[in-house]
Amino acid sequence: MVNFTVDEIRTMMDKKRNIRNMSVIAHVDHGKSTLTDSPVSKAGIIAGAKAGETRFTDTRKDEQERCITIKSTAISMYFELEDKDLCFITSPDQREKDEKGFLINLIDSPGHVDFSSEVTAALRVTDGALVVVDCVSGVCVQTETVLRQAIAERIKPILFMNKMDRALLELKLDSEELFQTFQRIVENVNVIIATYNDDGGPMGEVRVDPSKGSVGFGSGLHGWAFTLKQFSEMYAEKFKIDVEKLMNRLWGESFFNPKTKKWSKQKDSDNKRSFCMYILDPIYKIFDSIMNYKKEEYEALLPKLGITLKHDDKDKDGKQLLKVVMRTWLPAGEALLQMIAIHLPSPVTAQKYRMEMLYEGPHDDEAALGIKNCDPNAPLMMYVSKMVPTSDKGRFYAFGRVFSGIVATEDMYEKAIQRTILMMGRYVEAIEDVPSGNICGLVGVDQFLVKTGTITTFKDAHNLKVMKFSVSPVVRVAVEPKNPADLPKLVEGLKRLAKSDPMVQCIIEESGEHIIAGAGELHLEICLKDLEEDHACIPIKKSDPVVSYRETVDEISNQMCLSKSPNKHNRLFMKAQPMPDGLPEDIDDGKVNPRDDFKQRARYLSEKYDYDLTEARKIWCFGPDGTGPNILVDCTKGVQYLNEIKDSVVAGFQWATKEGVLSEENLRGVRFNIYDVTLHADAIHRGGGQIIPTTRRCLYACLLTASPRLMEPVYLCEIQCPETAVGGIYGVLNRRRGHVFEEAQVAGTPMFVVKAYLPVNESFGFTADLRSNTSGQAFPQCVFDHWQILPGDPLELSSRPYTIVQETRKRKGLKEGLPDLAQYLDKL
Amino acid sequence: MPQFSTNAAVSLEKHVEIKTKPIESKLEDIDYVYEITKCVEWIKSNQFQKVCLQFPDVLLPDASEVALKLQSILEQTIYVLGDTAYESCCIDYIAAAHINADAIIHFGPICFSKTSANIPYLSIYDKHELEIGKLITKNQITILVDSPYIHRIDELLSAFGSYSNVHIQTIDEDPLIIKSKLIVFIGDNKRKLINIELIYKPQHLYYFNSTNIGIFEAQSIILKRRNFIIEKIKDSQTIGIIIGTLGVKNYLQIIERLKKIITGSGKKYYLISVGKPTVAKLANFTEIDIYVMVTCSLSEIYESRDFYKPIATPYDVEVALNSQRDGIINFSFDFNTYMNENFDCDIRSTPIEPDVSLLTNTIRAQSTEEGDGRSSVTEEGSILALRTDGTVAMNSHFGAGYLANRSWKGLVQDVESQSPELAQRGRTGIAERYNTEPNE
Repeated sequence: MVNFTVDEIRTMMDKKRNIRNMSVIAHVDHGKSTLTDSPVSKAGIIAGAKAGETRFTDTRKDEQERCITIKSTAISMYFELEDKDLCFITSPDQREKDEKGFLINLIDSPGHVDFSSEVTAALRVTDGALVVVDCVSGVCVQTETVLRQAIAERIKPILFMNKMDRALLELKLDSEELFQTFQRIVENVNVIIATYNDDGGPMGEVRVDPSKGSVGFGSGLHGWAFTLKQFSEMYAEKFKIDVEKLMNRLWGESFFNPKTKKWSKQKDSDNKRSFCMYILDPIYKIFDSIMNYKKEEYEALLPKLGITLKHDDKDKDGKQLLKVVMRTWLPAGEALLQMIAIHLPSPVTAQKYRMEMLYEGPHDDEAALGIKNCDPNAPLMMYVSKMVPTSDKGRFYAFGRVFSGIVATEDMYEKAIQRTILMMGRYVEAIEDVPSGNICGLVGVDQFLVKTGTITTFKDAHNLKVMKFSVSPVVRVAVEPKNPADLPKLVEGLKRLAKSDPMVQCIIEESGEHIIAGAGELHLEICLKDLEEDHACIPIKKSDPVVSYRETVDEISNQMCLSKSPNKHNRLFMKAQPMPDGLPEDIDDGKVNPRDDFKQRARYLSEKYDYDLTEARKIWCFGPDGTGPNILVDCTKGVQYLNEIKDSVVAGFQWATKEGVLSEENLRGVRFNIYDVTLHADAIHRGGGQIIPTTRRCLYACLLTASPRLMEPVYLCEIQCPETAVGGIYGVLNRRRGHVFEEAQVAGTPMFVVKAYLPVNESFGFTADLRSNTSGQAFPQCVFDHWQILPGDPLELSSRPYTIVQETRKRKGLKEGLPDLAQYLDKL
Repeated sequence: MPQFSTNAAVSLEKHVEIKTKPIESKLEDIDYVYEITKCVEWIKSNQFQKVCLQFPDVLLPDASEVALKLQSILEQTIYVLGDTAYESCCIDYIAAAHINADAIIHFGPICFSKTSANIPYLSIYDKHELEIGKLITKNQITILVDSPYIHRIDELLSAFGSYSNVHIQTIDEDPLIIKSKLIVFIGDNKRKLINIELIYKPQHLYYFNSTNIGIFEAQSIILKRRNFIIEKIKDSQTIGIIIGTLGVKNYLQIIERLKKIITGSGKKYYLISVGKPTVAKLANFTEIDIYVMVTCSLSEIYESRDFYKPIATPYDVEVALNSQRDGIINFSFDFNTYMNENFDCDIRSTPIEPDVSLLTNTIRAQSTEEGDGRSSVTEEGSILALRTDGTVAMNSHFGAGYLANRSWKGLVQDVESQSPELAQRGRTGIAERYNTEPNE
């Protein structure tokens, strides 16, 4: 039975120092959902015996069937900590006086890279992260990605080494080897943390340390786990050493000589590493005796460890018995709970340093102070990070975090909030109101939000920063209803789909095609299934997946391009040139952006990219959409009325960068320079009508004379496999224009990691192809990495880019063939 | 004052770009091509006094010859209408009304749009060659004859008279009802083919352009484009209604209806009359998000992608914004086909449900919302949003608010930073080629 009530939870919500908001993050298949079962069962939500098998937070049918988490799922739980553990919490901001209870809001996230937008959404609303690492495969690419994201969001990590059962039973590592594996993982994790976090920064030191208790070990599947604290407590009596001091001695280069009873920092012939001796050895003994059916041995051993089995468990043997024994001895729920409560920050602690990262407005207004102090009496500031479908078709719970104020049903200001609810994994509980520092769902605001948004009662509030995803929607499919009369249902379904996923894009192209764009094949597959079964509920025709391309240039225009306005009275002289490497990415990342102070931006551009300082100060705009990775630079000198036509030229630039000359795809990495402009002296003859279409023509002429090229998206692909399969991987990658740039063995394992760049266009069916060529031993993780010029001249018949341009033009209903320069370029 | 205006000679010598090649008939063919005897009989029998001749631009070279011939036969003044304001396929009543004409004779391609005025008119179709022998068929079909081929209808009738499965109709029948599901269209005018496909929905539509027969399929592209246009209209704040006809029946009613629908859904419209719409003319109204054009169904403007903002048909506005419309209507370029005379509509200003735009993937900006993408929902019905510091912020998407966002806000006095300078001699000549520039 659930051992807490909603009322208890509501009471806890006000005790904000005893709240822990945390997400569970990891590489795919490292056992997040399985591990999450342990605290869930400790809270009494599922039976202890079922923990590790239920995967309670995998709420969807397909999640259970495929054994993969697709959506992040939140669950709120209440626990009490014993007094002996409470004393480990020293900071006054981390615990209310005389309160043993803790409210833990846990979010289990997906590990597959295609769903990493769900991870981003989970991280935003939490303050701490439990990073799960499979100790057999070690730190993987997605481990690094999510950890990096966590640090960037100022989320404090703790580490858990999962699948110890496999290390012991399958790999049969000896205890010293296992220690080395653990230590290497801890080091790897700390290296990543150190790369992205500054120890002197506002979060302080965030590295994980087993001797502090911020690293857990165990097996989620078998439901057992420990930190050094647990063992230290067992031995503290015996050694008459303080628990904390003993924890230090149980990790790292610390050896004990049982004969002399002396601790040492060096290994010598008589002493033994303390971690192996006091922690691993007893565990090995239990494993050995039970798995080898040495009944007498383990029956003698168990009472020594203080394990008493329940009557009906006594008949079990082998793995079943092992599970029961380990679970009774080292309950995972307890160890995890302690790690979470002691090492993860409360909202009070976290919001102090997270405010400046979260809030876009001035850092001293009412909303900013409310967030900083986690003040329930301040104006409401809530960030909705994702939408969760309700049983009511087409409606969503807006799921998010209250950073300041209180969100309440039928709020005076926000009439739209019909109900506030508590997310409990597979079900929800209504709750009257939710104060700052908590995570909750809202009913009724879904119609005002698409994916995310800020909800506030403070009229002058600025937005909470929108989330930045580590993946991009680069794979697209076109959908249409099998029965044309179902079109309105499809449109409605697409709108719902757009809400239900943090990253998917559902758009209608100019040609009228309905496009769904996602991170990868798996992501799209799930989106399409949801669309068909849940959102639109109609049979759907899908096109093959395609990628979107970008248009760019390779050289500077080979001539000064002149275009005359329709009345022939105005002339524009321009050229196009490629941007230096790295600048488009800088614009994407916002390091160079239209809102910058123009002087600062110019200095940055001139220092990093060698741009002329005066020119760099005269960037008229970015495009498309005012922010894209193309710029228009005013290189004119002393042109009269130029400022009058700026708006029109900018409008034409936005138009041309959105719909490039080759196939109306977006432009990328193009810098346009205006060198001279001749204008009619009379304002009426140089209005928008004359200038906007002319600008577009002139920009098109610039593109066509600057060796236009197509760019395609490229995945960074990480493949993990045994050495024997490496050859097969190379074969598959070669066939698909892949390019391997790193191959290394994972230290301490027989596994190899191959890193390669793979064009997204070649990635369809890659996973299946790879599996069949390596007898199922290789598993790739592909994440969008960069744009790359597609070799070949699209203006040359029979080149590959030419074919792609023609295909795109046909799909978009454009005239086939090549754009004619004479149409855009005028003579003096 | 020659320094303030260009020399008149420039305009006269100016080279005009001709888009389509004019056609000049041989002198001896004129009687046949323009059916002079038919025209004479028609005028005589109806005793018209002031008769106007309307030619499309391509046939203008023959205009004077035709007019002179008629004048000499009828011994009365005949007028030629020049420079039709909108589509030359429509009867230009407005131009004819300038001289209070009794009748119009229309030459060349015609669209058969229902007309709004009552001046009698005679259509003399253009005439194309036709190799009837190439048309052989066995199925149950309707042969639909386009206007340029009607002069050969007798030959068609005699050629297919013995086939019971062939039914021959001409495009100028009124009302035109086609029952068969297989249509062979004699002619290759793409616009007409599209309209036939949309209105009669044949299973197969073939066209025969005097030498070749081909199957016509364009509908899906046009209908798909509706998806985009309709979504775009829903996203738009300001819609420009372009008057593209003065002749098509009910054009005033449809404009009124559009105005009602647009205001009823909380958007703003501008009514624009710019004569023949061109890219340059329409790009002058940058605050307009999308145009809807009221014109004849043969207008090709809807498909052009050169315009700065897309151009929609009245149908699109109807589907996008009129939530009270009962029943599903089928797409047609001709608003008369689905309006059924009933242009008055009961459009109440219904509150717009917040909705996701499939173009931008954001919540559709409501007319009342502030433009900077905040999720705060202000009071409905007000164009002004009140800010707590007491100032009234102008909504940035509408009229004056839009202009306030432009970087150029008109001439500003900048006395302090600029000292007066002496006037300098500038360029001379005309903008097309200044005197200092080399000849081509």
